[in-house]
Amino acid sequence: MWIVAGGTSATVRGDCQTCEEDFPYRHGPGIVANAGYRVNPRMDVGAEIFWVPLETASGTLNTTHMDAVAQFRPWRTHGFFIKGGAGMAFIRNWVDAIGPGAINSKALSVVVGGGWAFRVEKRVGFQLFASQHAGALGDLQTAAGDVPDVLGNYWSVGAALVFR
Amino acid sequence: MGKPLRPRPLAAALVSALLIHAAPVAAQDTEPSFLARAIESASLFEQPAQTPAPDPYAAARPCAGCPPRSVGRSFLQVTVVNVFYGIANLVRGQVTARVTPKTWWENMENGWVWDLDDFVVNQIGHPYQGSNYYNGGRANGLSFYESAAMAAFGSATWEFYGETNKPSLNDFINTTLGGIAIGEVLHRVSWLMRDPTKSGSGRLWSEIGATVLDPVTGYNRFRRGDASRIAEKPADMVPSALSGFASAGALWRGTEHEPFQGSGQAFLEADLFYGDLLHGRSRSPYDAFAMTMRFGGGGPVSEARLLGRLLGEPFGKNGKFQFSVAQAYDFQKNDAYAFGAQSFDGGVAFTHPLSSRISLALLGSGGLTVLGAIDSLPLGVEEVPEEEPESDAGQGVSEGPRFYDYGPGSKYTVRALLLRDNAPFAVAFYEGRQLFSLDGLRANHFLQHARLDLRVPIYRKIGFGVAGEFFSRHTYYQDAAKTEREFRYPQFRTYLTWDIS
Repeated sequence: MWIVAGGTSATVRGDCQTCEEDFPYRHGPGIVANAGYRVNPRMDVGAEIFWVPLETASGTLNTTHMDAVAQFRPWRTHGFFIKGGAGMAFIRNWVDAIGPGAINSKALSVVVGGGWAFRVEKRVGFQLFASQHAGALGDLQTAAGDVPDVLGNYWSVGAALVFR
Repeated sequence: MGKPLRPRPLAAALVSALLIHAAPVAAQDTEPSFLARAIESASLFEQPAQTPAPDPYAAARPCAGCPPRSVGRSFLQVTVVNVFYGIANLVRGQVTARVTPKTWWENMENGWVWDLDDFVVNQIGHPYQGSNYYNGGRANGLSFYESAAMAAFGSATWEFYGETNKPSLNDFINTTLGGIAIGEVLHRVSWLMRDPTKSGSGRLWSEIGATVLDPVTGYNRFRRGDASRIAEKPADMVPSALSGFASAGALWRGTEHEPFQGSGQAFLEADLFYGDLLHGRSRSPYDAFAMTMRFGGGGPVSEARLLGRLLGEPFGKNGKFQFSVAQAYDFQKNDAYAFGAQSFDGGVAFTHPLSSRISLALLGSGGLTVLGAIDSLPLGVEEVPEEEPESDAGQGVSEGPRFYDYGPGSKYTVRALLLRDNAPFAVAFYEGRQLFSLDGLRANHFLQHARLDLRVPIYRKIGFGVAGEFFSRHTYYQDAAKTEREFRYPQFRTYLTWDIS
C-alpha cells in the first residue's frame, strides 16, 4: 500500500482561448491525498484527490481533482520522485471574473509534479512536493452565457505524510 | 549541378551519433572514448574473428545482451533529445524555437493551454517525438513504466522550455501516451531486426536498419560498442509468436453525397501481430501487440493503429477466456475524415480451436479515451477553407483556426476473427466511440467504425484480400437548436498480400 496525505499552498488561474481579459491569480490552501499500490521499489500507482477552496468576492470557488496517478522514483536510494496522471476535475462556481453564477462543471484533469520523500521510520515518512494540475472545462456555463474553451491551471507546493 | 554524394551509412551513423553525444558524464572519464569505441565497432564488423574487447558495462547489465541500466543517462539523453529538436526548429527558422529563461518563466506562469497546430503535427509528430524520450529510457535499461515516466518528463520539459509557444495540454498528453505506445513498438520491432549473435556486414546493416526505426537505442548501441558485440538477444525482446502481412492495393472511399470515388487510391500497408494477444498470463507490457500502418490511400500516412497489451490473465476451463488491459494509439487521416486518439481498454477474449491450425476468436472490450481528436466544421461551413498566407506572427506560430476538436470519451469494440496459425484471415470488427469536445466546436461526437476483412492465400506467401469498411460520425452541436448532423464514409479495399511471418 501507498498512502499520502497533506496540505498545499495553491495558486489558481482560469483562462480561455478566446478571452481578452487578463485573469487574476488567486491563492489559497489545498488538501492532497494519494492512495495506491506499490508496483515495485521505484513505482507507485494509485488515485489522487486534490481539493482547493478559494475565497473570492462573490463566494467560494471549489475545485476537486480526482486523478489516476503514477509516481516514479528514479533512484532507489534517493527520495526524489516525479509524478503524472489524468482524471476528472469537478469545478464549482468557477472564475467569477468571467461572469457571476457559474454552475458546476466537470473537466478533464491532468497533473504533473515532483518532490522529495524523506523516510523517518520503516513505513512512515514525509515528502515535500510541487505539482501542477490542469482542469480543461470545455464550455463554462455562466449567467452571462457560455464561455468556450476554459482551462484552469493550479500550481501548488506542499508537504505530506507518507505511509507504506 | 554538384556531384551527388554517395550514401555512407556507417559514416553518417557515426557522425550523427557524435553530434547527438552532447556532454560527457563523469563515469565516462575512465572508459574508452566514444570515437575509439565507434572505430573499434566498425573494425569488428569487418573482422569478425577478432577477440572481443572486455565489456566495461558488464556489471550494469541484467543480462549479457541487455543495455546497462543508467537513470542519470536516461534523463540526460531525454534532455539532449529536446535540445536536438530545439536546434532543428531553430535551423528551420521557427521563431518559436528562440527560447530564453524569460520565455521559460512566462510559460510556467501561464500554465497549460490548448494549441492550434496541424492535425498531423499533433497526432503523429508529437507522439513520434515522445517515442524518442521513451526510448531514452529503454535504451538505458529502464523498464516500460520507468521509460513511460521518461516520456512524460521529456514531454513536459519540451512544452515548458523547448518552445516559446505556451505549453500545450493536448501535446503533453499525445506526446506522453503516444510516445509510450509508438516508442515501445519501435523498440521491439527494431529488436526483431537485430541478431546480436551474428557478425559481419549483415549484422552491421541490421543494426543500422534498427537504428533508423529506434534512433536513440541505435545510437546507444553504437556508442557502447553493443552494435558489434556478440551476445544473446534479451529474452524479453523475443516474441512468443510473430506473424504479419505486407499489402499493396487500391481503395475507394465515398461520402454521404458520393457513394464512391471513380478512381481508386493506391496504398501500402503493414500489419504486424507480435506475441499472442489472445492467450497467456502476462505482466510484461507490450509482450503482445498488433500494429497496422497504411501509407497512401488518401494521405502520406492514412492510418496507424497500435494495440499493446499491458497485462493479461487467462481464466475459464483450459484458459479459453482471456482478460486483458491494453493501451491503444489510433490515427486516421485521409481526404474524407481525420481521427486520432490515445486510449486504454479492458477486454475479454474467447478462443475456440476449429482444427489443428484454424481457430475462432471473439473479443469484446470497453475503455476510456484520454484524449481524442476528430475533424469537424462549424455549422454552415461545408469545406475546410483555403489556408491563409502565413501571418507576421512568424514561422512555427499556429494562429488557427483549427478544424478539429479535442476531448476525452469512451469506446467499445467487438471483434470476431478466424485465425490460421495465429494470424487472422477473416476479421469482423465494430467500434463505437463517444467524444466529448472540450476544445473546438461546441459539439459531442459519436463515431462508429465497422469493417469486414478477408484474406485468402493464392500461392505460397502471396495472398489476396478484400475489405469493406464503414465509418460514420454523428455530431450533436450544442447550439440553441440542438442541431445534429451525420457524416458517412464507406470504403472498399482490394489488395495483394505478402506473408512476412
